[in-house]
Amino acid sequence: MNQAEVDTTQLLKGVLDLAVLAVLADADSYGYDVVRRLRDNGLDHVGDASVYGTLRRLYQAGALNSYVVPSDEGPHRKYYGLNNRGRKALDQSAQTWASLSKALNHLLNGRNNGHDK
Amino acid sequence: MTSNDQAGDVATYAASVRAALSDLPSDQAEVLLEDLEDHLREIAADAGGPLAERLGSPEQYAQELRAAYGAAQAGSRRPEPAFGDVRRVVTWVAKSAWYRELRAFLPQLRPAWWVLRGYLAALILTAAFSPGYNLGPIPDPTTKRGLAEILAAGVAIWLSVRIGRRSHNLPQGARFLAASANVLIAFIAVVVLGNMHSFAYSELIGTTTPEQQPFAAAFAAGQVTNIYPYSQDGKPLTNVLLYDQEGRPITVDKSEAQTTYPVAADGKAITNAYPLTQRHVNGDPVVAPRVAFPPWPAATAAANPTASPSPSPTH
Repeated sequence: MNQAEVDTTQLLKGVLDLAVLAVLADADSYGYDVVRRLRDNGLDHVGDASVYGTLRRLYQAGALNSYVVPSDEGPHRKYYGLNNRGRKALDQSAQTWASLSKALNHLLNGRNNGHDK
Repeated sequence: MTSNDQAGDVATYAASVRAALSDLPSDQAEVLLEDLEDHLREIAADAGGPLAERLGSPEQYAQELRAAYGAAQAGSRRPEPAFGDVRRVVTWVAKSAWYRELRAFLPQLRPAWWVLRGYLAALILTAAFSPGYNLGPIPDPTTKRGLAEILAAGVAIWLSVRIGRRSHNLPQGARFLAASANVLIAFIAVVVLGNMHSFAYSELIGTTTPEQQPFAAAFAAGQVTNIYPYSQDGKPLTNVLLYDQEGRPITVDKSEAQTTYPVAADGKAITNAYPLTQRHVNGDPVVAPRVAFPPWPAATAAANPTASPSPSPTH
């Protein structure tokens, strides 16, 4: 792992809950599919175990429903979906994230502008 | 990789991950690893190649799992090692069928508790506002005071049931307060009930006759079942005949012990010669209790010819 990857991993940890909730708000999904969709959306370095652990924790915390769907090839798949609590958590986290990213962008832009002068 | 190899790879990898997380409390590990195998199988089927190549070592994977799952709860969910056994027992009890049955059954007792709570609250209030009053568990309806107590208990029960029926939609904080109040009422009630003048047997049965007033009536401490007279110098006396101010023989409360009365020349039992000769239900004789004699003033002791000499004679 190079430095950029380590940084990404560290930054991701804080917002992985939000990312997973956002993916599930889109459509119910099973563990490996959540990983794939996160990566498809540009979160290349998201770890499989991190996603799986996050799913189990959110489920345990009562933010997710789960149900098993039999599949023809391969193993049965445990699908997860947001319940009301999960949707509330997503709304709150999304707001927090929006204000945080706005503040950070502002900070970073200010720094860039300062360098430009 | 053939599907057989894959299955073996998944099993080995999962076992290693589980081993690396074996320090987690079993219930926590169970939730976390519930469908680890299914998840790994999915990855193996999709990607091909050994899992370790794709996911890193099982130990790394376990560490990442632990961080993602436990990060938010580390500390709060990790029990002290010393409480491990207690925790296991609690888990075992909580999972057992009889405990669940009990849990299901308890809510049905709620209305009974509401009624009891009202009665106890009235009892506590009565005790609080009338110190020294000889409180009984059931008020005497023939007195004004008893009637008032019964009325108060009725109102308290009505209020308690009313509160109980509305308690299900209390907010969290109020619920905690209500639970504390319940515990407090139960606790104080135990104290009040403990101090209550015990139900004298005769009150229920009514065995006493008007001529033979129970000697115990004068004693708040409880029943008197025998009397042990002593002389001034502490010698136990026998066959002391006791009479009250009217000249009536004084008798004591009936006890469980078997009493043998001396029989007079005319064939009648002498019931007021103390101490009474008594035997316990199991046949053992009732023995005199240990008593503490009062220290007589020196002059009185000296006046008594049988008293032992005083350590510092004043004459």
